[in-house]
Amino acid sequence: MARVIGGFGVSHSPSMGYEYDKGVAGSFDPRWRVWYDGMQPVKKWLAAAKPDHIVIVYNDHLNHFTFEAYPTLALGVAEEFPQADEGWGLRPFPSLAGDTEFGWHVANHLVRHEFDLTICEDMKLDHGVYSWMPYVAAPPWPAPVLPLAVNMIRHPIPTSQRLRKLGVALRAAIESFPRDVRVAVIATGGMSHQISGTRFGMANEEWDRAFLARIERDLDRLVEIPQEEIMRIGGTEASELAIWFAMRGALSDNIRRAYDFYTFPQITGCGVVVFDEKAA
Amino acid sequence: MPEPNRSLAPPDSYIYTGPMSTIGRNLNRFALSLKSPENRKKFLAGEDAYMRRFALSERVMAQVAARDWTGLIKAGGHLQAILKIAATVGQGLWHIGAHNADVPVEDMIAMCPRRVTGLPENF
Repeated sequence: MARVIGGFGVSHSPSMGYEYDKGVAGSFDPRWRVWYDGMQPVKKWLAAAKPDHIVIVYNDHLNHFTFEAYPTLALGVAEEFPQADEGWGLRPFPSLAGDTEFGWHVANHLVRHEFDLTICEDMKLDHGVYSWMPYVAAPPWPAPVLPLAVNMIRHPIPTSQRLRKLGVALRAAIESFPRDVRVAVIATGGMSHQISGTRFGMANEEWDRAFLARIERDLDRLVEIPQEEIMRIGGTEASELAIWFAMRGALSDNIRRAYDFYTFPQITGCGVVVFDEKAA
Repeated sequence: MPEPNRSLAPPDSYIYTGPMSTIGRNLNRFALSLKSPENRKKFLAGEDAYMRRFALSERVMAQVAARDWTGLIKAGGHLQAILKIAATVGQGLWHIGAHNADVPVEDMIAMCPRRVTGLPENF
């Protein structure tokens, strides 16, 4: 049977992506060099963990989905997941592969356990996935991905408790997949940031570091914090941190913190925390 | 420029809700059409003619012409959609943020990250 071997939570942002491209072309902005260096141990972890599948819980930013039909929860089940053109053209990376056998298994299990997701056979992925991916792996990409999109751009957004339960259901879905495969679960959402209003650019490192410290053992407390309170202290887009609860919910309590890192380059708190399942 | 407060109300913060989405429906459709390179070309070749295909109000078209990013957000434009208009005309997120905060772009870039502290109550 399939096993969850661990996973990580990580920030994303458009600038994380294009600063990478500028950096590898020869001129890393010093602030982004810090993030690049800080992500090297994550790259090593992923290479050593050798997952057969990577589940990615993320959010789109009106780059694939539009308001004609904006799903609250959507699962991509397809052979490949190309990049979305966000308005600046495509970056020089191949599409991520998908595995439809695994994808349909997870879709079946989640819907039969009361998570009625929208299933997408065409799902282009934006910086929510492609901005951090090159920091943790190089093409050819290490494993097929199963992207699960969570609406974070228009309220109402799913509650923190619901996303934790989604993670628990994801674990059960993975563990019932009848093949001996290794699965990593990644969640991504910006840490403290706000990108409109007079509070534009606010940065709460104290909160971000507390979040990274406490997501390991204090999930009960974290999911009880009103999302509005997180938006007050961390910026309106810090609400994306709720996505990280799906990753933590998919892991057991028998975990080890393999690594964490934090920096604040410009507009978005950039953090990562990596967990290993001790029994896997 | 005061440091960021804790307010979630305009003009400090714009929380994007369902009713804002309803008000901004045509504006967002127009803005998101600019994800396609061909549409970006068409828009730049004649902004007014291109916008008329989307049944926008005169007021919204004037706000686009004036690069009034704050006005467009108040008109129901989603930040991620307005960003596509900004990108098409050679601007970006910094310009939108600076316009929202009513400061020059260079000042906003120099100011960020705008550090605050504080944890949730009883945390």
